[in-house]
Amino acid sequence: MRSLGIGFWIALLLAAAGFLIVPSLIVKAPIEPNMGLIQKIFYFHVPCAIMLFLSTFVCAGGAIAFLFKRSERGDRIALAAAELSVLFGVCVLTSGPLWGRKAWGVWWQWDARLTSSLLLFLMMVGYLLARRYGGPAGRKLSAALALFAAINVPLVYKSVDIWRTVHPQTTVVPKLDPKMMPAFWSAFFLMTLVWALLLTIRVRLERARAELAELRLDAEDDLAEVRT
Amino acid sequence: MTTIATIAMIGRWMRRAVLAMAVLAVSAAPALAQQFEKVDRIQREEIPAARFVAIAYGIIWLAILTYVLFVAGGLRRVNDEIADLKRRLRSKE
Repeated sequence: MRSLGIGFWIALLLAAAGFLIVPSLIVKAPIEPNMGLIQKIFYFHVPCAIMLFLSTFVCAGGAIAFLFKRSERGDRIALAAAELSVLFGVCVLTSGPLWGRKAWGVWWQWDARLTSSLLLFLMMVGYLLARRYGGPAGRKLSAALALFAAINVPLVYKSVDIWRTVHPQTTVVPKLDPKMMPAFWSAFFLMTLVWALLLTIRVRLERARAELAELRLDAEDDLAEVRT
Repeated sequence: MTTIATIAMIGRWMRRAVLAMAVLAVSAAPALAQQFEKVDRIQREEIPAARFVAIAYGIIWLAILTYVLFVAGGLRRVNDEIADLKRRLRSKE
């Protein structure tokens, strides 16, 4: 773990400090008059959604590097980012319905934003399934799927402006009350840090697995030589 | 002849449908009316916002923590295997 680099440990320290500071900023943020206390889910729900989008874009970037340049590193980054997409997708799709139940009176609405978000999440689950069970072509198949998922991201983001929906529009963050800004941006930076740390250690795990596979091949070759 | 018979059959079915709807409307009206009851104090559905906020944050951090443990466990296992294989390869040399 020593070879992770000074940047990793600084980010880890900042994230640890964030875990102490951000909750107090959220508590101090003013209560939204229409929705009340439940609006405080917003401070983590939106950053999680942004991390879902970011992970999907990074996954697509890695997939492009793998498909067109045969980059093994790109493939490792794509896999790590796909897992983070699913992780943050779970966070978005559980915190959202909890907020919706109080604000709209229902757990789920089949409107454009919620449905397209669910589709994006399922695409990333599909990526992982194709990779795991797709056989020899699984990596290429999943990489192609990642490109479609990335195309879906702008559609998810703009869906609230294009179609009539119960979900708040994209203007919510720019028009946020100035007193709510510190809580939102600190939560956003904390989530970005956590995302970067998770991506780093997940890529590292995949690199270690590749190294292990090479060592196993070497060991098998040595055994074959001994036998002959 | 066949057309006339068909029209007559459709007419019969339409008469029966209208009759059935009328019977249903007459019989259902008192039943529905009986279900309304006067309530003096309206009990509003209270959804506990604080609990929902806590559950949302709990799920998010639990998911992230579970993932960290999963990756850290995998990393430790793979590093152990790498060290073991390297040791075995070195001992053969």
